[in-house]
Amino acid sequence: MTSMTPGTAEFLLAFADDEHLMGQQHTEWIGIAPFLEEDMAFASIAQDELSHAALLYAIVADNGQGGPPDDRAIDTLAFDRSAADYRSAQIVEVACTGWAHALVRHWLYDTAEELRWSLVDGSSLEPLRDAAAHAAREERFHVRHADGLIDVLAHTPDSADRLADAVNALLPLATGLFEPVAGEAEAIEAGVTSAPFDTMLPEWTDRVRARFPEIDIGAIAAPAYAGRAQRHGDFAALMARMNEVRGIDPTAVW
Amino acid sequence: MHTYEIFLKKDGQEEYRHAGSIDAPDDELALLLARENYLRRAEGDLLWMVDRTHLLVGDRDFVAPNSDKPHRDNDGLLVAAHRKSQREAQ
Repeated sequence: MTSMTPGTAEFLLAFADDEHLMGQQHTEWIGIAPFLEEDMAFASIAQDELSHAALLYAIVADNGQGGPPDDRAIDTLAFDRSAADYRSAQIVEVACTGWAHALVRHWLYDTAEELRWSLVDGSSLEPLRDAAAHAAREERFHVRHADGLIDVLAHTPDSADRLADAVNALLPLATGLFEPVAGEAEAIEAGVTSAPFDTMLPEWTDRVRARFPEIDIGAIAAPAYAGRAQRHGDFAALMARMNEVRGIDPTAVW
Repeated sequence: MHTYEIFLKKDGQEEYRHAGSIDAPDDELALLLARENYLRRAEGDLLWMVDRTHLLVGDRDFVAPNSDKPHRDNDGLLVAAHRKSQREAQ
């Protein structure tokens, strides 16, 4: 059994934080997505992302031993760290109040996430391999879902403009998904992941260009990392919403 | 938007059953939305979907005039009653 170094823990936390906050942001569309069926579908996808986060937090919580998940320990990692200790990318922290932005973020994120899981599907950490297999089964539907909506909307004049605006606004933040944390090198050394995530940036860029051929996206080849150690201005409000109910009684058993 | 009718089947001998309907812009999204709306708790192992405009519909007038033909209810009661009366007459 591989024992987990602090660097590996940081690497996994960055992944978990992205999944956690992305799932949370998607859930906030329940009841206000453009049509009823999409309400449910987007919230189902959100639940999938939250379950990925829980799998990753559980690995950190029990040091990769693969024991039964400890919900309290998972919650502590998910909710009780100080803002400075989060390692999430700013694309999952920023508030997307328009549907076009939420949909484009969904596509950008899931396209990157699919590549991200593929780097750990042969991990030296058995529970991470299992999580990767679990996530891969779901991710292909997530990307298809985003693609399906964009296929329709990209051919509608007003919608196409809104999508283009969203792509231009969100791309600089989305490239931050590929920003490594310091611990990634240790995770590679330990065989936890097979390569730096940013080696996938060219593949992701190709997919972005193929998805949005009408949009001039030359700038994404040289990402300006905003900083996984630095929170976006929307983070505090997001955290407050997430903890609104839990804060009433943090020790409650659900 | 198109409206689709959704049918689910569990593995085994149970038949496909109507589960509900869904609105979606095209076939591909209809399948994905059905998956997230009707199968999130593994309600079925197999899925049929059909665009409602592709259904062949027999309307009420077409179907109704057969409700007054009791001679087609082959439950044997009339035959039994007839045979009983014949036996009693002997």
